Amino acid sequence: MDLDFTDEQVEFRDEVRTWLAENKPREQRPDDAAGIREYDLGWQRTQWDGGWAGIAWPTEYGGGGLSLTQQLIWYEEYAAQGLPGIDATFVGLNHAGPTLMTRASEEQRAFHLPRILRGEAVWCQGFSEPDAGSDLASLRTRAVIDGDELVINGQKIWTSFANIADYQELLVRTDATGSKHEGITWAICDMRLPGIDVRPITTIEGGAEFCEVFYDDVRIPLSSVVGTIGDGWSVAMSTLSFERGTAFTANQVRLAKIVEDLIDFARDHLGPDGRRPAIADDQIARRLAEVRAAVASLRAMTYVGICDAMRTDTPGPRGSMLKLVYADLCKEIAALGMDIVGADALRRTSRWEPNGWVGYYYYAFSQSIGGGTSEIQRNIIGERMLGLPR
Amino acid sequence: MDLLPSQDQLDLIAAASDFLESRLPIEGIRQRADDPSAVDPDAWREGAELGLLTLGLDEEYGGSGRLLDDEALLFATLAEHLAPGPYLASTLGARVAAQCGDLPLATAIGEGSTLVGLAELRGDGCIGPDSIKGTFDLIDHAGAAYLLVASRQGTALVRATQFPDIGDLPSADPGSRLATATVDAATVSHWLPAETDPLWLRGTVLAAAGLAGLANALTTMSTEHAKLRVQFGRPIGVHQAIKHACADMAVAADASRSQMLFAAVCVQSGREDAAFQAYAAKAVATKAAIGNGAATIQVHGGMGYTYEHNAHLYLKRAHLLAHLFGEPAEVLAELLDQGAPQ
Repeated sequence: MDLDFTDEQVEFRDEVRTWLAENKPREQRPDDAAGIREYDLGWQRTQWDGGWAGIAWPTEYGGGGLSLTQQLIWYEEYAAQGLPGIDATFVGLNHAGPTLMTRASEEQRAFHLPRILRGEAVWCQGFSEPDAGSDLASLRTRAVIDGDELVINGQKIWTSFANIADYQELLVRTDATGSKHEGITWAICDMRLPGIDVRPITTIEGGAEFCEVFYDDVRIPLSSVVGTIGDGWSVAMSTLSFERGTAFTANQVRLAKIVEDLIDFARDHLGPDGRRPAIADDQIARRLAEVRAAVASLRAMTYVGICDAMRTDTPGPRGSMLKLVYADLCKEIAALGMDIVGADALRRTSRWEPNGWVGYYYYAFSQSIGGGTSEIQRNIIGERMLGLPR
Repeated sequence: MDLLPSQDQLDLIAAASDFLESRLPIEGIRQRADDPSAVDPDAWREGAELGLLTLGLDEEYGGSGRLLDDEALLFATLAEHLAPGPYLASTLGARVAAQCGDLPLATAIGEGSTLVGLAELRGDGCIGPDSIKGTFDLIDHAGAAYLLVASRQGTALVRATQFPDIGDLPSADPGSRLATATVDAATVSHWLPAETDPLWLRGTVLAAAGLAGLANALTTMSTEHAKLRVQFGRPIGVHQAIKHACADMAVAADASRSQMLFAAVCVQSGREDAAFQAYAAKAVATKAAIGNGAATIQVHGGMGYTYEHNAHLYLKRAHLLAHLFGEPAEVLAELLDQGAPQ
């Protein structure tokens, strides 16, 4: 076993480090919808211009085609420099893009993939519905074929960035007669189509990106269907396996920086006794050490996962473990942040500002819900890894 | 970069497992419960012949010259089988003797003819290159000619005769033996300074490896029980209360294994953040092994509360390892004192 990088990998790391230092966005991320769109797409365009867009994408689709080790290096450097998380561009780069690559037609790919890479389009995910959360396959948003169009009626919910998105990966029910996994269709929905009504939902963090989407006789051309009519479940699953494979590496790696920032903050910030810095408090010090250790182990798990993926070439259920550890840890760190902040917890802050621990705390609750709840991850681990009965 | 065991390492684990299952079955712990020594001397020597004590020792001292990740995998395997006997102290003891140039002693320890027990300083005292002082917990000292006394500054071998008044104590772990001894100025026979070889970190990683092995074995034990035990007409593993407990155990075991291997490589290669990684490994693995032990007893219900079941043996071994190479709170304090990892 070794943790050594080859000469080429070291050279690559230096190149990434230099490029990020010179090109990273310097302004604080705005918190209004239009500002977020502008900011995230702008940063994506910068990466495109620098030749760093879509590092995980194969080169044949315009991506960087980086190896898993190179991706890890990129994410570690990215996190070390305190760069913003991949936010409004996440669905395009990590869900929609990879799905289109594996299942879309030549025409669909040619149109959409470059737009995602160049920072010209924001994508959102129309999966969850009021009655179809963890049980996604019970979705009911109806689509009826009328000529060469699908006519959509229904509702999606928890759709991050629907208010600023250009396109949506939309799961609809085209046939309600078979089992719930049959009769689902995956379509590209242009968010400017008539009949779409996007209503923002304010989050506990005060975020402006959460939405519900209503569809009233929305007509989507059949040419926007990805895969075939009724085969949408398998199309959607190809997205989820990518998501659980490498897409969360960035988040996992970023936690290490967040913990180090919290330790620095605890050295400066007055502790619970009102006299000494927070880190002088035994309980806080121990909890800081515990999360430091846990984050180190998450990093080691991420490394093992990458070695594993390089050997087997398939993202197995192991990704669920990483997602689960990440989510639990994110919340633990956030709760510790609140205890260090002390009475300043009364003041609203944003996670995008330096030491925005209050905002981070409220944001952290989303991490064990979105992208598959922690309960679902535990089911996957129990059933698919440990072989426990369903 | 590679953190997966090689075929060579998998073979090593398989060979060690075969030996432990046939010669040192867990049932032996209960059978020897009233014996002064936790391990059968013949089985100990056979294990030594197999190379269990000298895997990481240089070949010129009769060892296999393997790296710390091999040793870590071996110690995880030893713990998975609850192997009794002073493996940790004797492995490190052979290393101290070898690094001090004492070939006869290194060989005798490696062959299993000379045993080294572990002495852990409890409370105030002093561990130095010439002498040691204080009250020590002695672990598996029965039949040991030497005791290994480790500190962050260096590691000593002290002759057992230097501990005149040894008082046996009841050991919470039936698979180990415990005693206490107070010495004023016991003479150190071999001293290995940390600058020459960071033995404290090696010990920390191997303790973490043992804890990770326990966490893993406990996960398997609980999972198998959850598949077989039927209540309300179905295996209890269908219920999320049990299924999720097993999933959490699996995650804790994986985290501790990944981190201890990561740390082993860092300590082996002398990486700048080696201490950080080793302390993190010990902290994570301690929590995993004790947490999984507690959860396993709960998953097994009444059976888990009995002496006859193995669950408590694992939990008790976990508590033993947790108190070696630094108290848990001390390990956390040391970890927080380190700079950010590399």
